[in-house]
Order: sequence, then C-alpha cells, then structure tokens
Amino acid sequence: MYTMPDEIGYFGEYGGVFIPETLVNTLNELESAYNFFCQDNNMQDELRQLLQHYAGRPTPLYLARRLSEKYGATIYLKREDLLHTGAHKLNNTLGQILLAGYMGKKRIIAETGAGQHGVATATVAALMGMECTVYMGSVDMERQRPNVSRMKLLGAEVVPVNHGSRTLKDAINQALRDWVTNCNSTHYILGSVVGPHPFPRIVRDFQSIIGEESLTQVIEQTGGMPDDAIACVGGGSNAAGFFHPFIHSKVKLTGVEAGGRGMSDGDHCATLTTGKPGILHGCITYIIQDNNGQVLPVHSVSAGLDYPAVGPEHSFWKDSGQVSYAHCSDTQAMRACVELSRLEGIIPALESSHALGYLMEHSEKFRNRTVLINLSGRGDKDMDTILKETGL
Amino acid sequence: MKTYNGMYLMGNHPDEDTFVQAAVRGLEFFDFLEIGLPFSDPVADGDVISNASNTALEKGVTPDKVFRNIEKIRTLVPGHKHLYVMTYANHVYFRGIDTFMEACVSSGVNGIIIPDVPCRESVRFSSVASANGIWYVQFITPESSREQVIEASATATGFLYSISVRGITGGKAGFSDDILDNIRIAREFSRVPVVLGFGIKTIDDGIKSLHSADGFIMGTRLVDMLYSKGLDSFSMFISELSNNYSV
Repeated sequence: MYTMPDEIGYFGEYGGVFIPETLVNTLNELESAYNFFCQDNNMQDELRQLLQHYAGRPTPLYLARRLSEKYGATIYLKREDLLHTGAHKLNNTLGQILLAGYMGKKRIIAETGAGQHGVATATVAALMGMECTVYMGSVDMERQRPNVSRMKLLGAEVVPVNHGSRTLKDAINQALRDWVTNCNSTHYILGSVVGPHPFPRIVRDFQSIIGEESLTQVIEQTGGMPDDAIACVGGGSNAAGFFHPFIHSKVKLTGVEAGGRGMSDGDHCATLTTGKPGILHGCITYIIQDNNGQVLPVHSVSAGLDYPAVGPEHSFWKDSGQVSYAHCSDTQAMRACVELSRLEGIIPALESSHALGYLMEHSEKFRNRTVLINLSGRGDKDMDTILKETGL
Repeated sequence: MKTYNGMYLMGNHPDEDTFVQAAVRGLEFFDFLEIGLPFSDPVADGDVISNASNTALEKGVTPDKVFRNIEKIRTLVPGHKHLYVMTYANHVYFRGIDTFMEACVSSGVNGIIIPDVPCRESVRFSSVASANGIWYVQFITPESSREQVIEASATATGFLYSISVRGITGGKAGFSDDILDNIRIAREFSRVPVVLGFGIKTIDDGIKSLHSADGFIMGTRLVDMLYSKGLDSFSMFISELSNNYSV
C-alpha cells in the first residue's frame, strides 16, 4: 500500500513545509479542508458531477493507429487535450475551488507558466463567482498570448511578473508573496505537484483521475495492462496523476523532462537528470542550481515545462527507481508536434509533445509494446511558437 | 529592561567597503546586525530587499564572500554587538547544515535566521546550530496561536522575531491586537528578547515597537538609504536614531 506523503508531508527525504511562519496555519487549514473532503460524500459527489458534466470526463483513451504503425508499438493517447479549457489542469482547479469555498475564501490567486493553469483557475473562479488574480512571467505572457486573452475574458486579472527569469518560477514567488499578505481572504490554487505540503498530495490526488481512467480504459480496450506509460514532467502534475495508480504495477513509467537546446546550464530544464536536492517554493526536492545554491535560469520551448525544480514525489520516485526520467529536446518535441498533427489530426501542446518526442526518438525501446502516453494538453496556445520554430 | 534593536543589511551590498562601513557605523547604535545572503528566490522579501539581492548576485556575491566580510566586521565591533546571518533555507541545506554552521562559527556569527523555515521544520537546523553554539531565531506572527507562540518562545535563542504583519519585508508595519497580544504572551514565556520587525521604517515606528516589544528591526529603509543615498545619509540617519532613543 502506497502511503506517501507521511503525516508531516514528506515523500522519504523530499517535501516538507518550507514557507514563512505566517503561512503555517493557512496550510494547516487547507490540509483540514482536504481531509474533510476525503471523508465527505457530498463534496466528492459535487466534484464528480463537475468533472463529468462541466469538464467532460471521462476523456477518451484513443488508439493512435497511424502513429502506432509508423513507430512499431501499440500507442494509446490519454486525451486530456479534450478536457474543458484544453488541458489536464482543470482536474485540479475544480477540486481546489471546492476546498476554497469550504474554507470560506473569497479570492483566488494562481501562478501560471504556459497559461493553462491560469486559464483553468480563471475558469473555476468564474464558475464559482470568485475574484481571481493570476501571476504570469512577462516572458510567458509574450509567448502564450492567447491564454492571457482567455484569462482576461474569463474575468481574471493577469499580473505580469518582471522579476528574475520572468517565467514560472518567478510567478510562483510572486503568488507566494501575495498569499502571505492576504492569507485570510485568499486561497492559492497552486497548479502543480510542487510547493509546501499539502499541495503535492492534493494536486496529485486530484490529477490521479487521469491514471485511474486510463487503467480502466486500457483494460477494457486491450484486456490487460500496458507495458509502458509516458508523460511529460515540468512541475510534474500530469505525470504524477497519470503514474500514481500504476506505481506498484509492472508498468514501466517514464517521465520526460525538457531537454531544451542542450544539456549546458541555462539551456534546459531536465531537473531530475542534472539537478541536486535543495529547498525551493516550500519543499525539499531536486533543483537546478549552481555550486553556491542559487537557482539557475532554465530554458524550454514549452512554457509549461520551463521550471528549475520538480514535485517532491518525483524526486522520491527517481531515487527509489519507481519512475525513470529522461529528456526530450526542443527540436525533438517540435518534430513530434508536427508528426502527431499530420499522422492523427491532433495538435498536441508543446509540453505533451515532449512525451511523444521521447517515444519517437527511442521507438526501438518500445517495439511491439503497448504504450500509454498522456496527451496532457492541446497545442492551440502554442501556434505562434510552432509557426516560428517550424517556418510553416 | 534594556532594549535589543537590530538592523538588516544585504551582505556586500551595494559594495564590500560600503557594507562593512555601514555595519560598523550602524552597530554604534544598534545591538545586532542581520546580514542577508543574496538568494535567487527571496519569497519573504519585498522589492527593495529582492532588488538588493539580485544586484548583489549580478555582481558575483557568494555566501563565502559575505562570510569573509562578516569576519572583518567581527574584528571591528565589540563582542556584545551580535551578528546574525539571515538566509533562505536552500543556502543552509545545499551547503550542508553542519558545514554552514561551521562557517558561521569561524566567521564570528552569533545566530542564524531562516525566513522560510517555520517552527515545525526547524529542528533539523536548530539542533545543529545549538551544537555549534549558534543561536537559532524563531518567529511569531499575527497568525500564530497561543500554543505556537509558547512553543516558539520556548525554543528561540538569540531573540524571538515577531513579524508585525501578514506580508513580506518592506510593507507598512502593523501594530494590530493579534500581534501585540502575541508579543505579550511571548514576553511571558521567552528567555530572549522579543523583537518586532517587518515594515519598521521611521523613528515613530521604532518608538511604537518599544511600547510592546523589547526591540525593533529596521531593514528595508536602511538597505534603500544605503543604496540610493549613500553612506553619509545612512550615517546621519544612525545619528538621528541615536538622538531619539536612549542607548
């Protein structure tokens, strides 16, 4: 039986609650709200209803025939790209907005990288009639413009963050600063399995529906378990939710990080390949940092993976060998995005394209195997980048 | 009771000489100095200290370079003036908690303050600090319950850092009932001074702090003054502080 995190919020050596003292009771309140949710049939039923009738669950598990044929494996895509708002992020924001309502919070804040979590948060805030502020690095606002417009249309205030690398990491810093100031009125809907306890657990649990459905669907469709499951990893929420039900099975799990332009400092965000344990954004986890413990700039063509740390449970899974972690470059991901678009008529998000790219680059490893890939989001938001990079 | 007032400066900022001179000059009035180690992700800090941190990093300031100047300051100020390192948890964890505390000891640091380590996570740091004779500063906030205040008071060494407001450094100081009540409880249980910080910018803020706490900490105002107006203005402000409070 898998019982991580332990009662004080640790996944082995990783996790914990490393935030200013002011937030300790706010996090305790969140933990109590979540524990209540876990016992309360009404709240769980409300979430189930929303996931089904509002968000569009279950999402299909689709046998990608032409892709399978070309790469010599039986490849199933878990279609989180078909979820309302276009990515898996809504599974978590719907869950957390119910917790916010239970705690009596009136205002929601969030960070966003690719804008998918920001859109999913703005969406649920609109749905529940709550005020919403989203922090977004100014670099990301530029490269994910359609999502900025969507958040504004949904009634959220999008605050540009001009500190540091002006990407996801800095958006989280700014959201934490807001939260410590407004902790009584505000719930911070953190979008990944990162941050202080209980966020890594809550976000993983809300995303585990991806893995649970996939498990049922693959058994229905093939009569057995798959050989492999692959997902991209930035902070790691889609991967954590996808892998979680398979963690003690024989299914080989592979998390694919962003290899960016290459493996030199500043050119990638392959945290689990090149990082070292440290403390960032509330938890002990692998971090890309220099020899003085300063967090280094990172790069990925995909804004959602452009993050110098990773969820603490992934750090634990890496050390325990329960999940293998690999990386896929910008170019390989871009090629995979075009390939899937043309073979299957599905335009994947650049984040998800990293999982596809890894399979395509290493297809010999997957020959004659049944492979599940989590297609965590759709690529509409990435059109500017895709057009620029591919010269289409 | 004698007051215990502190100032915060960012290590080696705006440059090494100015930092050392400001530390020595400031400690003519203040009882202790908190020295910030620049960090890439200072989540507890507002714009002024975050920008100071970034500027220092851009100039290549490292923890070791700051420790060298702390050693120098230690030789220039009397032993009853205390030096605290204020740093984010990653610096301590990444270097190794033992190694970090040893660096503190060898440069003459008296205590350590880690703003992103709450009381519930503090034992792994405070136990090593204590074994090395380094004080470990705990926090109380307007959010703290009575039990939490008592626990922090019982375990703090050096001083107990009372955060005046829900928020980050550089805002407006708060003197609301939640924090004043907590300071009263803390002073009942703490063996060390209870010192109010965050947002203390004016002489009046300091006077108000001393109505309830054993001292105050001034940070953002001094960091800003030293950077934007220079050492002379800083020095004049220290004289002004000396004239307004009995030392």
